[in-house]
Amino acid sequence: MDTTRQDQFYLRAVAEFGPALNRLARTYEADASQRLDLLQDMHFALWRSFAGFSEQCSLRTWVYRVAHNVGISKRVRRRRGGLASLEELTDAPAQGSPEDDTHVARALDRLRQLIRALKPPDDQVMLLYLEDMDAQAIGEITGLSARAVATRIHRIKALLARDFGQGASP
Amino acid sequence: MTDIKDIWQNQPTEENIMITLSDIRERAQALQSRIRLRNGALYFYSFANIAITLFLISRGVSPRYTMPGLLILVAHIFVIWQLWWRTSARAFPGHLMGTAALDYLRHELSRQRDALSGAWLWYIAPFMPGLIWELWLRATLHPANMPPTADRLMVLFLVLSALFFWAAVGLGFSLAAARLDLRLERLNTLKAE
Repeated sequence: MDTTRQDQFYLRAVAEFGPALNRLARTYEADASQRLDLLQDMHFALWRSFAGFSEQCSLRTWVYRVAHNVGISKRVRRRRGGLASLEELTDAPAQGSPEDDTHVARALDRLRQLIRALKPPDDQVMLLYLEDMDAQAIGEITGLSARAVATRIHRIKALLARDFGQGASP
Repeated sequence: MTDIKDIWQNQPTEENIMITLSDIRERAQALQSRIRLRNGALYFYSFANIAITLFLISRGVSPRYTMPGLLILVAHIFVIWQLWWRTSARAFPGHLMGTAALDYLRHELSRQRDALSGAWLWYIAPFMPGLIWELWLRATLHPANMPPTADRLMVLFLVLSALFFWAAVGLGFSLAAARLDLRLERLNTLKAE
């Protein structure tokens, strides 16, 4: 693949999914300077990856795979302990009450905290669910089976209903 | 309350920055420079060791230990090369970046696990010939100014210290590999769901 085609794919990806990359970086990294580094890593990995992109999957799937894999690499290197599965978080007592979440910023903070507390790939499923992806697309990006994704989405809905007092739309 | 997905997708992000292609190319250049710098440092370390050892040999300092010293030097170079080889181009394995997340994570963990579980072969074993040779030379030295009992105790201390050190290194690698094995098992279970 020549550089021009690689550049074109990259520019298209950034135009379409740039904001989603920002949200992903913000969720994975709480520290502002580290976040900028992570975001640049994602962009760099994305640009490099397009040298080998043969359109065997959609651009959206490719972009999310690459961005999530950069995030995974960062988490693996950090080796942070104490991460939980969706099942464990759903079983744990809720923190705060739904009334607390009338403030959007606070709701977003709590969402990010929830995602950061989750083990991969549960954190990814939740992120992709919030990005309004369907089960099939989530399966393509994470590599989970449709059944495994469906189970997780069910738990995510329960978690969101409990912590935010609403049933998020499917 | 508004739908949580809407809140999520419309969240304000302060990283409203434009990363241009020239930024990306600069980063690619910087990565290459870092790799060149790191390799340069490794080569400098290796050549400095070789130069010092050759200098000591040419001056006839501790001639008994010349050969085991050379073996340990070769081991150092081998381990440096292994570290370089195992860590090169790791930051972004391009051909894997577009694979599904579970496969990518499994590959990352497997690579780390394999490096750790095989560490006795590429990190510990290379030092053994030189080390054992040095210990054997020291055990048969019998310095005239040291009483036999003190000499034997000194040799025992050196042998036990070496054993303890390398056993601790080996155990550390094994424990880390076992932890990764557990995570890989969990991933395999996820994949089978």
